[in-house]
This record gives sequence, structure tokens and C-alpha cells, in this order.
Amino acid sequence: MKSFVAASLLSLIPSVLSKTVTYDFNVTYTTANPDGQFERRVIGINGQWPIPTIDIEKGDRLIVNLVNGLDVDTSLHWHGLFQNGTNAMDGPGKVTQCSLGPGQKMTYNFTINQPGTYWYHSHIKGQYPDGIRGPLIVRDPKGPYADKYDEEVVISLSDWYHDENPPLLAKFLSVGNPTGAEPVPNSALMNETQGMPFHVRPGRTYMVRLVNMAAFAAQYFWIEGHTMRIIEVDGEYTEEAEAEMIYLTAAQRLSFLLTTRNETTQNFAIVGSMDQDLFDQIPDGLNPNVTGHLIYSAARPLPEPAFVDAFEPFDDFTLVPYDNEELWGEPTYSFALEVMMDNLGDGANYAFFNGITYVAPKVPTLYTALNAGNLSLTPEIYGRDTNPTVFKHHDVVELIINNNDPGKHPFHMHGHTFQLAYRSDVDAGIFNTSDDSIEFAKMPMRRDTILVNPGGNVVLRFRADNPGVWLFHCHIEWHIESGLIATFIEAPDVLQKTQTIPEDHLAICRQRNDPVVGNAAANAEDYLDLTGQNLSPAPLPAGFTARGIVALVFSVIAAFIGLAVIALYGSQEFKHKAA
Amino acid sequence: MVNVFAVPVFFIVFRESLETAIIAAILLSFLKKTFDTPDSDRAAYVRLRRHVWLGLIAGFILVLAIGGGMIGAFYRLGVDAWAKSESLWEGIFCLIASIIITIMGAAILRVSKLQSKWQKKITRALQASNKDTTFGEKLEKYALFILPFITILREGLEAVIFVGGVGLSFPASAFPIPVITGILAGLLIGFIMYKGGNMFHLQIFLIISTCFLYLVAAGLFSRGVWTLEMYEYGKLVGGDVAETGAGPGSYDIRKSVWHVNCCSPQFNGGGGWGIFNALFGWQNSATYGSVISYNVYWIAVIAYFLFMYFREQKEFNGSARSDSDLEADNGKGVVGDKTGVAVDEKST
Repeated sequence: MKSFVAASLLSLIPSVLSKTVTYDFNVTYTTANPDGQFERRVIGINGQWPIPTIDIEKGDRLIVNLVNGLDVDTSLHWHGLFQNGTNAMDGPGKVTQCSLGPGQKMTYNFTINQPGTYWYHSHIKGQYPDGIRGPLIVRDPKGPYADKYDEEVVISLSDWYHDENPPLLAKFLSVGNPTGAEPVPNSALMNETQGMPFHVRPGRTYMVRLVNMAAFAAQYFWIEGHTMRIIEVDGEYTEEAEAEMIYLTAAQRLSFLLTTRNETTQNFAIVGSMDQDLFDQIPDGLNPNVTGHLIYSAARPLPEPAFVDAFEPFDDFTLVPYDNEELWGEPTYSFALEVMMDNLGDGANYAFFNGITYVAPKVPTLYTALNAGNLSLTPEIYGRDTNPTVFKHHDVVELIINNNDPGKHPFHMHGHTFQLAYRSDVDAGIFNTSDDSIEFAKMPMRRDTILVNPGGNVVLRFRADNPGVWLFHCHIEWHIESGLIATFIEAPDVLQKTQTIPEDHLAICRQRNDPVVGNAAANAEDYLDLTGQNLSPAPLPAGFTARGIVALVFSVIAAFIGLAVIALYGSQEFKHKAA
Repeated sequence: MVNVFAVPVFFIVFRESLETAIIAAILLSFLKKTFDTPDSDRAAYVRLRRHVWLGLIAGFILVLAIGGGMIGAFYRLGVDAWAKSESLWEGIFCLIASIIITIMGAAILRVSKLQSKWQKKITRALQASNKDTTFGEKLEKYALFILPFITILREGLEAVIFVGGVGLSFPASAFPIPVITGILAGLLIGFIMYKGGNMFHLQIFLIISTCFLYLVAAGLFSRGVWTLEMYEYGKLVGGDVAETGAGPGSYDIRKSVWHVNCCSPQFNGGGGWGIFNALFGWQNSATYGSVISYNVYWIAVIAYFLFMYFREQKEFNGSARSDSDLEADNGKGVVGDKTGVAVDEKST
């Protein structure tokens, strides 16, 4: 990530000019009815929903004073921000901090040197679909496209459930849902509403920042009568690329330039359409679409969107990074994650990377890494079911993901963007490392959330230049619940020398009586002794256990005795005859 | 194989055919003994024998007509009304079938009792018709037509109702072969008895077939409970459980006693495991309910047959001394006395 290092060095110079932006966020319940179908309780901030869009400039310091006004845990994650040097601010509960309990306070405080389109959301199990999700925009007045547009606009896409997440989750992850069918959203939203107006002036160019904040649904997005020129994905500038239709998975972002027409005689539909391939069953009456309008003239009618014959979205694999960074050289660490779904002993359906379904440790993984001394390079101390992998500083890591599941998965990595060296088609199977006909992209596109095709594979590369503990997970919120998460521990030895935990973060844990030192099992005496670590439910019993054998033997014996008695009774006939 | 041969159907048809065949055999031998003598009216014998056969044939045709219509109606009804909660009905019908087979199965074992029972009844019926002076002529003239006609009609319709009840859990294609083979088997045994064949071998055969009959019934009982449990699970899962194949998710882990991800008697028609299921009640995914019900079934059958065995032992010893008529009446007693269902009402 040469470019990033350079950028952060440069940013030291204008830092005198940069400002500090402070937000006081009290997370509270409120109510909302964004799709006009159902009023429900939502999680908002300071009594408001949708929650504010954080809008800052590259180089600014962001301070968020967070108060948890809910009756459940919360936290905030700044999706896509590298947090280089500030790993403790990343936000996932039990990973880089203790979860923020009801009534507790903490401060997130970090400098942002990455321009681009991001978002922030709770990183506590299943919480953000209830409303605590919002765009985070880092403007770049000196960016390469800064003089190509007149105005910036944010459009968020999302999906919406009429039920709150906790009951949906209880049903999803239960014996009653053995196929792991994910709850299907009730509606699609655009800027957390429907019928969004986008007033434009003719002959201008807008930079539209598109954020998908969905729990589950990817969306196809298009603007009738207009072509989009893609310039950024997930905070990485790209060379301009024209697109008629965009496919954005949950958690992906994309910016495009939109040049308006010169005449104002007509308005145009802006359409988001949820990818229904993701849904196991499509409920009756589901409207997968959300429509907004590009309004040139308020006096003109707002057209209904036209039907499309087929979805033919732009393939983000073809994008070229603006800095023309080439594929990073021979990997020094290469590994694969096998994705699959299966049922465990409690009958529920879980998701697995390499046979492990994620279970949070007792001590936040970052705290373990900082306190484990030399053992921090030993993956075992982070717990079996956090699925840990340790990288050395400046490793060039090659990560192969083999999706053995017939579903699409948007995989997201914290703390990095990665190069998409290769992405297979649907059902290509496991990536074949010895197949010479497979060609990697020369100048691969970089982003932090990538779609993996059903039954397909991808090859990602990244540089381990950001010491810290970073999650790698599917960004379908349901799959986070069912454990499709791995923990990457990057250069923990360097981390120990350069980073510490802020006192107010440690205070949260102490107030909750959560341990802050020790391995995944909270054993601070012997980091290699993981007795008592949190583990996933036992696997399903295999075939005949002792119980089954006993049952079968008894049944057979019962049947044989029964037959003997019948024969005995039947043989009376002989006696009677004889008499 | 289960799709073309419904084992319970075979046994029901076999059992009813056997009873009909016994009655026909008794009538025919009665005629032979009474009329086919040098000094009797040869023409009357031929006429009366024709009556018997006519009665049988007419009754059989009528049964086919009525039965066919009933089964057809049953099926149409079944498809419409029960398709939605198929596993619920399948479970209930399995239990009903199991109980029916259990109750009437014992009678096959006591074929000599059946024989003597009918011998007495027919004799009584013929004598009664003789005594009747007003109606006499007519009845005497046609008794040998009416009796087999009524018999086959009653046994046949009984078979149709039982088969209909049992059979809803089978596809329509599973009917023809067991029905035909069941009739043939019943007739064959009736013929052997008529010809006075080796009753010892016959009894061995009957014991073996009764054993199979009860294995089938035990399996059906267990499967009935299993299917009802699956119905509950299906409601919980909210979809077609069979869709998930034989692997995880196709069964309720909380009730599982054993589960192997193969050898399912349901999935893809079941194949050999389907036969295994039909004969012995095999499940690749056994539940507490299915295992316990299977064992409870056998315990009940064992207790019942032991009870009958000892009771009849006593009666037999008693009858040997007192020369009573117990044996003949036992035809109904085989199962009827205790349960009050099935064969009982025929003898009254």
C-alpha cells in the first residue's frame, strides 16, 4: 500500500490546516416508517432517524463521543477506514474493544487520511439493520476528479425489515431453520426512504456517492436516460469507466460522475432493485424495487420506471485503479478460506471458514494481542473459533476464497483494501493453483468489499502494512450471525510497540467486569492454556452413536421375540388338529 | 418397488380373499358331499354348484365396480383435501393401517378356526332356510347363490375400505400388483384347503406370512408416529422437509436417536431402503417417537399373543374334557373378544 503510506506522509504537511470534527452521539430508540407500510421501533442517534451523515474532509480528526442509550450493547465501526495506528477505534465488539453496554460512554478519536465514500454502523451482532447505519463521506478537494464535478451528492441504498433484528435472528439461527434461509427484507430503500427526489440542474456534473448499507440485499442501480462514469470504489479512485447499471453488494460503495442533460423537459427514474437471487423464498407481494427521481423540473411528471429485460450490471473486476498500481509481487504468505454452510448439533445452520464458525473470545482479540508478549505470534492464543491467522509485518498476503456455497457472498476486510487479482465465474469450484491458463489482473482494482460468485472463487492480495486485529467476514449480516468471520492478526509484535488501548475503552470493560488481559479464554497466566474458551455448538452426531445402536438392538430383539410368540401361538393349530 | 407394491394392501387383499375362498370351498365341498352321490339328483348338484359360482362371480364384479368407484373417490378427495398436510394424513393412515392389520392378522393364523366357524354358520344357514316355510322355496332355491354373493360382497367391500384407508399413503401405482397377487394367494390357499392339501405345510406358510404381516404392521406403526413427528417439524421449518434430502436439516435433531445421511426410504423413491421400510419399518433417521412406538407395539403384540396362547391352552384342555363347542366359537374369539372390532361382527 505504497500509495497510502505516501498519502499519509503528505497529509502531515497540511495537518495544520485540518480541523477536528466532533459529534456527540447518543444512541437511542425512536420510531420510523420509511417504506410507508409499517411503523416500527428503530435505533437512531439523538432521537433522530435516519442517523446523520458524517461529512468531513481528508486529514480531519473525527471525534465521536458515544453514549449508549439503548438497553442492549452497541458499538460503532467506520467501514472502510484503515485505522492505521488506531486499531482500538475500529469498533467491532469483542475484537478491538469491549461492547458498549447500556448507559456506558466511550470516545472514538482518529484522523482520517483516506478520501472516499464510507459508512459507519454498529458492529454488534445484527444491530445495524435496525437503523444504526449512515454514510461517512471524506471529501477530497484536491482529489484527481475534484475539478470534474460541480456538486457532490450521497445516495444510500438499503433494505428494510418490518421486524426487529433480535426476533428475526432468533428464528434464523434455530432448529426451525435448518436450511439457513435468511430473512427476506420487506422493502428496499434509497436514502432510507422511498420516492427520493434528486433535484438537478441541466448541464452540470454531479459526483454521486453510492453506499449500500443493507443488511442483506445487493442492489442493481441505474438512472434512466443517463450514463454513469465510475471514479471510485470503496475509497479507491479508479480510472473513469462508463456504466449503464451498477451492482452494489451490501457494504460496497461506488462514486460516479453524472452529467445532466441540457434540457429540462423530462424527469427520470432512479431505480434500485434488490437482487432476488439472494432470497430463498420470495414472499408474496414483495416489491424488490425502490424508485427515486432525477428531477429537472418539478412541474413535469415523475415517470414510473420502465421494465428491464435482464440485469446486466457493470463488472467491477474490469476497473483500473487511478494510481495504476500493479499486482503486488510474489506473496510471502498464501492461504485459502473455504466457505460452506452446515448444521451443528443444535440443529441450526451455521456458516464456516475452513470448518470453523466464528465465536467471539472472552477477551477482545486486540487486547490479547497487546498483552501476550512473544506469544502474540501464536495463533492458538486467540482461540480456536475466532479463526485466527497471524501475518508478519509487510507480508504480501494472497488470500484465496473458495465459495462452496450456492449463494453470493460479499466479503469485507477491515483495515485494508485488497487487490482483486482474480474472480471466477459461477460454479467454477475451488481455485486451481496449478492452472496456468488463469491470468491475474495486471493492474487489479482495489476495494474493501468484494462479491464472490456462487460456487466460485476469488484471489485477493494485500500488504500486511497495517499492524492490528482485523476481521474478515461476509457482510450479509445474517452470515455474521451464523459465524462467517475470520480474524486476521497483523504484525502483533509491531502493534505492541506502537499502539495502546485508550483508558476510556478499558473502563468500559472494567465496568462490565469483562476481562481485558489473557488469551481468548481470559487466561492471563498461561496463554497457551485455552481451557474454558468460547466454542461453537458441537457438530451433529455422526450416524449411529451408542444411543442409536442400543435403540436399534432393542428394536430388533423386540421384533424377534414378537415373531417367536406369534409362531408359538400359530403352532397351537397343530395341537388342535392332533386333538 | 414401494411405488408398485404396497405391502399392506397385499396382506389385506390376501386375507379377505382367503376368507372368501374358505367360504366358497366349504360351500362347494358341502354340495359335493350332499348331492354328488350316486343316488342324488345330479342335475340339482350342477345347478346348485352353478349358483355358488354365479354368486361369487356376480359378487366379485359388483365389488370391483363399487370398490373401484370408492377408491377413485377416495383418491380424488385425498388429493384435494389432504395434499396440503400430506404428512399429517400419512401418519394417521399409517397408524390406522397398523391397527387394522394387527387386529385381523391373528385370524389368518387360525385358519382351521375360520374354517370350522364358517362350516357351522353355513350349515345353520342352510338348515334355517329349510325351516322357513313361507319364504322357503325361494330361499332354498337361491341360498347357494345369495350366500357366496353376500360373502364376497362383504369381504370385498371390507377389503376396499381397508385398502382405501391404508393405501392413501401409497401412490396409485402401488395398488394393482398387490391386489392381484393378494387375490391369487388367497385363492390358492382356499384351493389347497378344498383339495385337502397338506395342512401342516399350509400352517407353516401361514405362520410365516403372519410374521411378515406383523413386521409390516410394526413398521407402519412406527412410521405413523415418525411421520406425525415430521409433520410437526415441517410446521416448524415452514417448508417441505423432504426438499432438504437426507442430510442435515431433513430431521429434527432434538428428537434424533440415530441419523445416517444415506439409506433414506423417502428420498428419491427410497429404492431398496423403501422396501426395507415397508417390510421392517426402517428409517435412516430414527426418532425417540419412532423407536419407542416400534418397541411398544411389539410389547403389546407379545403380551396379547401370550395372553391368547394361555387362554386357548386352557380352553383347549377344557374342551377336551367337556366336549363343548368352544373351538367353533373361537373363530370370533381370536381377536374379537378382546378388542371388540374386526372379525367379531361377522359371526353374529
